[in-house]
Amino acid sequence: MARALAVIAAVLGFWASSWVLEQDQVVRARFEGRRFAVPSQVLSAPTVLYPGLDWKRIELPETLERLGYRELREPGDPTPGRYRWGRGRLRVHLRAFDHPSRREPARDVEIRLAGNVIDSIVERPGGGEVGMVMLEPELVGAYYGIDEREQRDLVRLEELPRHLSDAVLAVEDQRFESHHGVDPRRIVGAFLANVKAGGIRQGASTLTQQLVKNFFLTPEQTFQRKFTEAVMALLVEARYDKEAILESYLNEIYLGQRGSTEIHGVGEAAKFYFGKRASELSVSESALLAAIVQSPNRLSPHRHPERALERRNLVLDLMLEQGRLTREEHDRAQAEPIRVATITPEVGESRYFLDALKRQLPEVYDSDVLAVEGLEIYSTLDPRLQRAAVQALLNGLERIESQYPELREEDGAKRLQGCVLAMRPQTGEILALAGGRSYGESQFDRCTQARRQAGSTFKPFVYIAGLEPRGSDPPTITPASLLSDTPLEVETRQGPWTPRNYDHEFRGPVTARHALEGSLNIPVIRLGMEVGVERVIDVARRLGITSRMPAVPSLALGTAAVAPVEVARAYSTIANGGIRPQPHTFEDVVAGGETLERRELRFERVLDDGVAYLATSLLEGVVERGTGRRVRAMGFQGPVAGKTGTTDDEYDLWFVGFTPELVVVVWVGFDEPRTIGVQSSWGALPIWVDFMKRAYGTRIRGLFPRPPNVRELEINPETGAIAMVGCRVTATEVFLRGTEPQRICDWKSPNAERAVDVDRERRPRRGGFWDRIFGR
Amino acid sequence: MSSRPGAARSLLWVSMAALLLGSACTLSLPRSTRTVEALRISEVVDEGDPARRASNRLVVKGLDADAAGAPERALGIYEEALRVDATNPYAYLAIARHHASGDDPSWALSFLDKADALFRADGGPSPRVQPHLVGLRGQALYASGRIDQGLPLLEEAWQTAPDVWTDGRLDAAELR
Repeated sequence: MARALAVIAAVLGFWASSWVLEQDQVVRARFEGRRFAVPSQVLSAPTVLYPGLDWKRIELPETLERLGYRELREPGDPTPGRYRWGRGRLRVHLRAFDHPSRREPARDVEIRLAGNVIDSIVERPGGGEVGMVMLEPELVGAYYGIDEREQRDLVRLEELPRHLSDAVLAVEDQRFESHHGVDPRRIVGAFLANVKAGGIRQGASTLTQQLVKNFFLTPEQTFQRKFTEAVMALLVEARYDKEAILESYLNEIYLGQRGSTEIHGVGEAAKFYFGKRASELSVSESALLAAIVQSPNRLSPHRHPERALERRNLVLDLMLEQGRLTREEHDRAQAEPIRVATITPEVGESRYFLDALKRQLPEVYDSDVLAVEGLEIYSTLDPRLQRAAVQALLNGLERIESQYPELREEDGAKRLQGCVLAMRPQTGEILALAGGRSYGESQFDRCTQARRQAGSTFKPFVYIAGLEPRGSDPPTITPASLLSDTPLEVETRQGPWTPRNYDHEFRGPVTARHALEGSLNIPVIRLGMEVGVERVIDVARRLGITSRMPAVPSLALGTAAVAPVEVARAYSTIANGGIRPQPHTFEDVVAGGETLERRELRFERVLDDGVAYLATSLLEGVVERGTGRRVRAMGFQGPVAGKTGTTDDEYDLWFVGFTPELVVVVWVGFDEPRTIGVQSSWGALPIWVDFMKRAYGTRIRGLFPRPPNVRELEINPETGAIAMVGCRVTATEVFLRGTEPQRICDWKSPNAERAVDVDRERRPRRGGFWDRIFGR
Repeated sequence: MSSRPGAARSLLWVSMAALLLGSACTLSLPRSTRTVEALRISEVVDEGDPARRASNRLVVKGLDADAAGAPERALGIYEEALRVDATNPYAYLAIARHHASGDDPSWALSFLDKADALFRADGGPSPRVQPHLVGLRGQALYASGRIDQGLPLLEEAWQTAPDVWTDGRLDAAELR
């Protein structure tokens, strides 16, 4: 019997030892991996301030606040990270920062303001005027690996003020320094308190147990989990010193929510609640952070300041009781009201952008590397434009749903979705990317991962194929050429195809310009067939479309499924005078001051600048008079070109609009395609205008430069002939030099049809083609 | 001893050939070519709208970095200049110069295209910028092995702006 018991005891002992060893391995692997992992951070480009800049437009005060600059209200010179507003001036002591392309020293400057504009920037002391200064890059986000929706800024214990850890220990675990991971006195105390209260009111977990629970375990309340938690807490205490455990706890603890992102650790919380670094927290602020640990949302100082104040004062009382504060410090801290920073929305659901960036990084930077290596990734994201993109998209989709309630879906996975992508056409930098309504609901990025029919946004590629000379041969069309908008039947493998215009009307002969402005289907199909579908595909490829394009006549109507980022690139090539940029999301990857990766600016000419200008001019017409004219009706001024796109059955709504310095693509639709029942000019276009107004106001600078090989002529827009004295209707048209119309419209030749015929005769290929196809 | 008169004769022939070649080259120069003092970007930092001025200041800083032997840093600064003003032709010119002197000179050509288009859109390029556009194109073509195309352009730049193009290349300090 005794032997049997001994055997059972040995087996149990062996099993228990194995289990404890197993838990020990888990603790070591996870604790050390987690403790020393430094998530890689993604930063924006630095903000450049210079005389003449509209400081309100770039949201300078908000930018300073987001960067953790604090307003100085007392007299005296500001120290780095502090600023003071004066009458018509802003004195700011800029922090020093390192950037792959520069090391900026700390600078005390006075920014003199004249209305909305920076008048001058003067260095203090000394008073010398400087041409420009730079603010450090903003944190866009970071890669945390396990759960990408957690945000934290790791801090070292020695960087933190003593009163912060004192506040946390006072309220969460006052005997932390003396217990070994589990506190029997606390367990007994909690048991009695809970019996007295008739339910669970008080927890018995030590700080180490809380840490273990967060690191390794699920929140379920079972005896087995509590037992494992206690064993692991003992193991952690046996293996690591108190400072290491406290540091891990302060970096790990959940402290609130910003949108879909969780705020973890006192470093991130200090920035979120007070707009400052954790090292700068006052006693009162430290007590407030410690106060909300228990229930960050119920005690949120943003939403429930009275509850937060009450608990903060409780923490201060405990600190006094435990000798962690003097009476004077306690009273002074308790007298302070709760002052929290305005909630700055996280950089507009930048998670879609972060994912896109991660996909663009070389393969060596996988999720595991990014989560632990502490890299600094300098991105192309413009935080201000990103916020504008997110806001415009959310507002736009809400507006559509409120106008058409039948589109509203409760199920997050089935909701109407959209994408806004902004690209700098000269460089291909992706400045803003809103890939959907909510990253929390769906991580699928509609800007870079979705492939949707391009619809009429594809039509400009067909016109470019027609406008482009082929070697020494003249181009197939000019903007003034007449195209036929008459009934058409095309033989296809599936049988005859009879395309129609959106309004089922036929207009007879129309100029190429008029056909594109009105987004007419028949003329563009005819043109596509005339130039050849392979040539259309070649043009689209050169401009930047990489998706598969079916070589069928309907391609001219945009039946190819493409990603919005491809459309942005193709239109960037047009906006950039025929030079194709490479879309990119980051510039540099830096580790410990050493640049590991650098994304060099590269581009390639793929289209004559004159042809690109003609296309731009046609697309300006779309906005001035055509399907995009709501841009003007909504009050947006300045040089804008663009194209609407609504696919069959209104599954997809597009608007691509560009200015000399920005290309913005908007797409709206359901992930599982279904009819929206709205034209793009009412669905996607208003989102574009909303974004542009948020980003630039109602007017933008610049112009589309006209290259020397393009000339302007007055023509008769009905016939395409050069307008002379006596011509009834005239309009200005652009032509590549050498392709100007050969006939004139004047009082001597009122017969416009004749002029057109001769113009067409100048290009015999075209007539021959139509004769071959249609026997005309 | 017998080789000495031969060597002297050879030397004489070489000298005469060099003289003739030099004369021919001199004669082949179009005498009407007007030389200009090539533009330095630091001269235009106070021109244009505020964004252009700030952008050009960055371009000058980039040229300083290039001249100090920090090409990566220089490129980063040029790109910052483009972020401030993406239509600044001087920024593209500086990047073109950077690439023309670098490992992959053919990359300079698209930047020169862009600079050229932007200058032309502004009614230029000015006669003081033109030698840089021509010379850098020549330098990039020459350095990427297209010698027949590059040489005439280098010669044109040299004739127009001998102060900086005599050596067939444009240093960062010469553009600064």
